[in-house]
Amino acid sequence: MSFFSTIRSLASAFLQRGQVNREMEDELRSHLQHRADDLQRAGISRTEAERRARLEFGGFEKFREEAREALGGRFVETLFQDIRFSVRSLRRTPGLTVFVIVTLALGIGMVSGTFSMVDALIFRPYPVPHPSGIVTLVSTTHDSSFDDFSYREYLDLRDKTQSYAGVIANSDMKAVGFSADASSTPRVTGGMMVSGNYLHVLGVEPQLGRNFRLEEDQVPGRDAVVVLSPEFWRREFGGDPAVINRHVRLNGVEFTVIGVAPEKFPGMQIFDRPDFYIPLAMAPVFSTDLQKNFFEDRDDRELNVKARLKPGATLQQAQNEIAVLAKNFESEYPKANLGRGAAVHTQFEMRTRVDDANWKFTVIFVVLALAVLLVACTNVAGLLLSRGRARAREIAIRLSIGAGRSRLIRLLMTESLILASLGGLGGVAIGYAFVEWFHTFDQVVLMTDLPLALPFRMDTRVLLASLALAMLSAVLCGLAPALQSTRVDLASGIKSAEVDVPGRKRMWGRNVLVVAQVSTSLMLLTAAFLMVRGFQRDLQVGTNFQKDHLLMTTFDPRLVQYNPTQTRQFYKLLTERLREAPGVQGDALMQNIPLGTDHFDGLAFVPDGLQLPRDRENFSSTMDTVDEGYFNTMAIPILGGRGFLQSDTAEAPRVAVVNEQFAKHYWPGQNAVGQHIRLDSRDGALVEIVGVAETIKNENAADFPADFIYLPLAQHPIARLTLMVRSSGDPVQLVQTVKEAVRTLDPNLPMIDTRAYEEYYRNQAVESPKIAMKMVGAMGLVGLLMAVAGLYGLIAYNVSRRTHEIGIRMALGADRSEVLRLVMGKGLVLVGIGTALGLAMGFAVERLMNSMLFDAGGVDALAYVVVVPTLFVVTMLAAYIPARRASRIAPTEALRYE
Amino acid sequence: MTDQAQLLPGTLDLLILRAVSLGALHGYGILLRIQQISGGALLIEQGALYPGLFRLVRQGLLKASWGTSENNRRAKFYELTAAGRKRLRQETDTWNRLATAIASALAAQPEEV
Repeated sequence: MSFFSTIRSLASAFLQRGQVNREMEDELRSHLQHRADDLQRAGISRTEAERRARLEFGGFEKFREEAREALGGRFVETLFQDIRFSVRSLRRTPGLTVFVIVTLALGIGMVSGTFSMVDALIFRPYPVPHPSGIVTLVSTTHDSSFDDFSYREYLDLRDKTQSYAGVIANSDMKAVGFSADASSTPRVTGGMMVSGNYLHVLGVEPQLGRNFRLEEDQVPGRDAVVVLSPEFWRREFGGDPAVINRHVRLNGVEFTVIGVAPEKFPGMQIFDRPDFYIPLAMAPVFSTDLQKNFFEDRDDRELNVKARLKPGATLQQAQNEIAVLAKNFESEYPKANLGRGAAVHTQFEMRTRVDDANWKFTVIFVVLALAVLLVACTNVAGLLLSRGRARAREIAIRLSIGAGRSRLIRLLMTESLILASLGGLGGVAIGYAFVEWFHTFDQVVLMTDLPLALPFRMDTRVLLASLALAMLSAVLCGLAPALQSTRVDLASGIKSAEVDVPGRKRMWGRNVLVVAQVSTSLMLLTAAFLMVRGFQRDLQVGTNFQKDHLLMTTFDPRLVQYNPTQTRQFYKLLTERLREAPGVQGDALMQNIPLGTDHFDGLAFVPDGLQLPRDRENFSSTMDTVDEGYFNTMAIPILGGRGFLQSDTAEAPRVAVVNEQFAKHYWPGQNAVGQHIRLDSRDGALVEIVGVAETIKNENAADFPADFIYLPLAQHPIARLTLMVRSSGDPVQLVQTVKEAVRTLDPNLPMIDTRAYEEYYRNQAVESPKIAMKMVGAMGLVGLLMAVAGLYGLIAYNVSRRTHEIGIRMALGADRSEVLRLVMGKGLVLVGIGTALGLAMGFAVERLMNSMLFDAGGVDALAYVVVVPTLFVVTMLAAYIPARRASRIAPTEALRYE
Repeated sequence: MTDQAQLLPGTLDLLILRAVSLGALHGYGILLRIQQISGGALLIEQGALYPGLFRLVRQGLLKASWGTSENNRRAKFYELTAAGRKRLRQETDTWNRLATAIASALAAQPEEV
């Protein structure tokens, strides 16, 4: 019989069980009447005929049952029986049932909550058709394996490769000044420059209007067209279809709306939600680096390049091809490309890159969540095992009156599946609550005017994964107990509930559970402890600059189409005026603020006179461009030499300030002041180090001290700058002062992300990591509670099972302390083994976390000093309480104990 | 009744198929037909017929429909499907081969060995 007809017959049997049964009854009755008719014809009375027909038919019930089985639908019916039976028996022990469900729910909830993050950060495919064909092309150097490409390089990649159906490029999401018409003040929005074929190659067709045309990306500055994101379209234009062909102003330039992207395409990035897309050819309106020519300079690397593999082309072919291309770049353009390679990566590879903090956190969270689930499963397995024991008598009776072992195992598995389903549902609810809880921090985490989103959500993928996990845990923690409790010796099983003569094999499973639980929860706690304490330690170290009494706000004069001279003039006047304003103690301009969300630029340089290794063109360090007020305003001590001065103008000799870490790194034991570096390469511009500043935390609060170099703004003009104003009073009160000063200079220039720096710092550097700490802490706590409960249950159960044995021992003259020692010794050995294993795992996790998150401090002894004794005390109590009770029972009673 | 033979396991299906192949029949009719064509030599418990019938329907070898019997009673009539006809041919061949083989084995004389 084919598979499908089985299914059909099962389904119809299931759906029309009543009808089928009725029909069968009718048919059997019809048979009896036909037979009775025949008998009646032979001269027997109707009543007698019917009676005889029934007798001749044979065991009516038996055949009816057989017939029902032959009809199919037997499986479904037994399933229903099993479910009914399971529910009944689970309701007989409500406490245990609830405990198991809650335990499973917690375990699965942790994992499904975590998985909603993992999915968003790693597994969720690009929101485009056939996402697996999309690969990312990266430029590689000594210092970075994931560098961007320049426009020229992109054109070469597009035109000189054969492996792809299309090669596309996009810039980072940039702050763009948007106004619906010429008269209104521009607001900050997020725009992304994309190649003309971007949406087309991705397979994204606008829901309204049209896509970019290829010729719209050919001539710099000619085609001012824009495609809106669906959300921006709704928010800004109320979803009006007449938006097509309307004119809007972006950074002061008039653009024509040509299309609206489809709803299902929120963008290719994890967090960025661009408001609109603009062709790369319009780069002059949005470009960041004033010193470089976007269309010509091969080292102006601002573009993220992706491609869609041709059908049939393999990743390996693409790899080989791009390696050759990179070699050619190197020989053709040694100035820009020496020591630079290229590689092709899949989406998964890009999302699991080693230098990605998201990925690191994800790994840690997943490991911890799985550990919690493991503890939960061992708990449940232990409980089911004990329950199986307690039911040994019932099971023995069932077996002896002829129930098949497989049938009983199926019954017991149905029970665990019911438990797991309920636990899974609870887990999904907890996971959902977790995601909701996480979203309450959106405002804390995303402190910016740009359109960002945390894409964590409970969707079908997460839901299915969670339920699959629930089923898997049901099998894992239900199967072993089911197998074991159906393998009983019938005779002794019926006689007593105390079935097992504690054979080695029997005890083994339970001992493994105890050990697994102790070690896993120890590891969990160690991890939680380490993270929380490591983080606190990092905060205590301090940032080495003064965070209070600072007001921050960002300007981008390109939003109103200033040229470099106007930009310089604006900043000059603004800072001068503010310095004279009441309540202002000082101000400073900087490209990036310390501990902000933006990444610092990298600076390529060569310490002058240093012999470089042959394959190395230069070194690199993170950098910031700051004005002469920076070190004073941020209160960063200058340890040697000087900070920047007004005299460090564009015409003056070029200078730089490095941090102490940098100075020690490149000139150990010497004075860095007076040394020289060359920018970019050996024959680049000569720059003198004029000062050494204290090393401050720049990238994040849990930073290793890193090399850092400051360049004077006057010598490296930047358009988009953040202004910091040091106030004598509450910095927020200065907002009006700054607004006034800006208004007198240009009422159209928007102020971006205006807030007190201390508040920003607290959200960004303290509160956001604290969320992670809370999560880890919660997992650790849940793990500990479960481990404690489970441990107590297992050991207490083990001991209470030996009540009978204890009675015998005491009847034979053992005294109480001997019994206590006997019982507790066993527990101690198990906990000892568990602790040893747990410590080993804890050390492993500690190394992992140190290498990923915190500076490589030694072993955090406190974690172990707190955690290990806690577990010991719990175990001892768990063994002691039942042991004491057992040792107090009069021997006569213990011997009768069942 | 004593000279009636017990059915070999598995042969009931074959008999049902054969009986039905001679024309659509209801359950009781099948029973009578089998008695008739076997010359009353085979004993079939009445109730045992139905599990066999349902099994064959489930396997798609028979199809059933309600109708009215010669006694003017409602009854379920069975007939062969194409698959049933094919199966009957195969089973008949198999059975004949088996029967011949057994018969010749039983008929073997000492001198032939």
